[in-house]
Amino acid sequence: MLKSLVDYLQLGAAYLRININAQLEYRAAFYSQIAAMFINDGAWVVFWLFFFTRFPVLHGWSLKDVMSLWAVTTAGYGIAYGLMGNAHRRLAPAIAQGELDLWLLHPRAVLPHLLLGSSIPSAWGDAAFGYVVYFGFVTPDARHALMFVVLSFVVAVVFVGLGITTGSLSFYLGNASTLSDQWRDISITFATYPPTLFEGKVKLLLFTAIPAGFISYLPVESLRSMSITDLLVAIAGALGVLAFGIVMFYYGLRRYESGNLISMNG
Amino acid sequence: MTTMESAARYFWIARTAARSNLAYAGEVIYRCSFLAIILYIFMRLWTVVYAGAEEDRVGGLTLPQMLWYLVITEAIYLSAPRVASEVDEDVRTGRLAVHLIRPLSYAGGHLSRAMGDRVVRFAINLAVGAVIALVLVGPIPLRWSGIVMFLAVLPAAFLLDFLGMFLIGLCAFWLESTSGLAIIYTRTVMMFGGMFLPLSIYPAALQPILRVLPFASMLSAPGTMFVNPSLTLLKESIVIQGVAVAIFAGMVGIVQSIALRRLFANGG
Repeated sequence: MLKSLVDYLQLGAAYLRININAQLEYRAAFYSQIAAMFINDGAWVVFWLFFFTRFPVLHGWSLKDVMSLWAVTTAGYGIAYGLMGNAHRRLAPAIAQGELDLWLLHPRAVLPHLLLGSSIPSAWGDAAFGYVVYFGFVTPDARHALMFVVLSFVVAVVFVGLGITTGSLSFYLGNASTLSDQWRDISITFATYPPTLFEGKVKLLLFTAIPAGFISYLPVESLRSMSITDLLVAIAGALGVLAFGIVMFYYGLRRYESGNLISMNG
Repeated sequence: MTTMESAARYFWIARTAARSNLAYAGEVIYRCSFLAIILYIFMRLWTVVYAGAEEDRVGGLTLPQMLWYLVITEAIYLSAPRVASEVDEDVRTGRLAVHLIRPLSYAGGHLSRAMGDRVVRFAINLAVGAVIALVLVGPIPLRWSGIVMFLAVLPAAFLLDFLGMFLIGLCAFWLESTSGLAIIYTRTVMMFGGMFLPLSIYPAALQPILRVLPFASMLSAPGTMFVNPSLTLLKESIVIQGVAVAIFAGMVGIVQSIALRRLFANGG
């Protein structure tokens, strides 16, 4: 078990090195995408800055809380799709077009190998942004800083789980690329607004079909309270989202039909 | 070729783009559902803000006016066609050489296609946004003069945005990828154009600067004209739009002429 885990970590490290080297072949494009994502996320932070300058408190949430929300979400998103880029927009079309053959032929478990196969360059910009905002703007003490680092990886697990779940829709619905993108984008959109805005059935939805609660609400609550119980709940939620995705993928894989497509992983 | 024949060609390009836009139902549904989510979230956000405010107006607008302002700015923003990426692709794939041998202006062809595309997208966004706003906050009092003023500034807002995106696309002659620049441009329009917040909410020191930048005349001016029209704002917007269109169009002309000198087309 431990040997297998170490083996997969080595595989992950090898893919990370290969993917980054491949992206650095187009060095200017790689750096410009990172910078652009930094500015993209920064625009939202500026929006909230203007907002809180005019309205200092929003249902008990301050600017620092919203910054933490953005920091943990972007850092988690960046780590998830920087490391496992195929969990982003690639999974649903790959399934629909019968492109899984390539991954089925390897003597590795299909899903982790497939997910590690590519990296989204701009995701590194998101990850950097999250860390810069949290450490530069929120200026945490050592305990908060440590908690943030742990939570950024917890949120990454949620994003990978969400990516697998939405991508696997193609097993059941045919080409579900648009629906998959839509589901993920809606989850991210809700995750970047304070949870105090939502109540009742909508809040229930945000902890079930749209897992925004696990992406940012529980992690930020853990940062606010610094409670181990809240952290454990956030971790449990993340593992739940991941487990749901894995089950959905492998159950769907039974329905997979080869596209007889000849392709290379270059 | 007479001017009328030339205009007819550009009109047909716009018409074809408008019709083909309706064929992609998936994209339309995606855009509309995203619009619905944004409007719902901001309705909640502003409801909380207005509940805590001492007056019934924030930044000069009531809650329903604030949401309708967002309907207009979002409908404009989400209707933007992917001009920059299309021009980028033309340059990168060499398709630009094929466009240049056609009896059409390259920029003019793109402009017609973009406008045809955008008018349909905007109309759909506006219709869906209006239904959602009616359900969430109800109607707002509208004046004919306001609608006319809104319609007066809308075409120049679309034209300005097109020129900005076209310029970004032309940068493909020098850059490996223009997608980063395109993101920076759209976010600049979003933030400084007043998409989510009317300019009256921004810090007082920033407001005079933002008002004279072209971005506000793309989003904030049409939005404000729709919910709270004023003749002063109309005059101000027309002047800013006129100056900005002249500058942007001049830049497109200069950049395109320099860029085309770098074009090498091989037969095949």
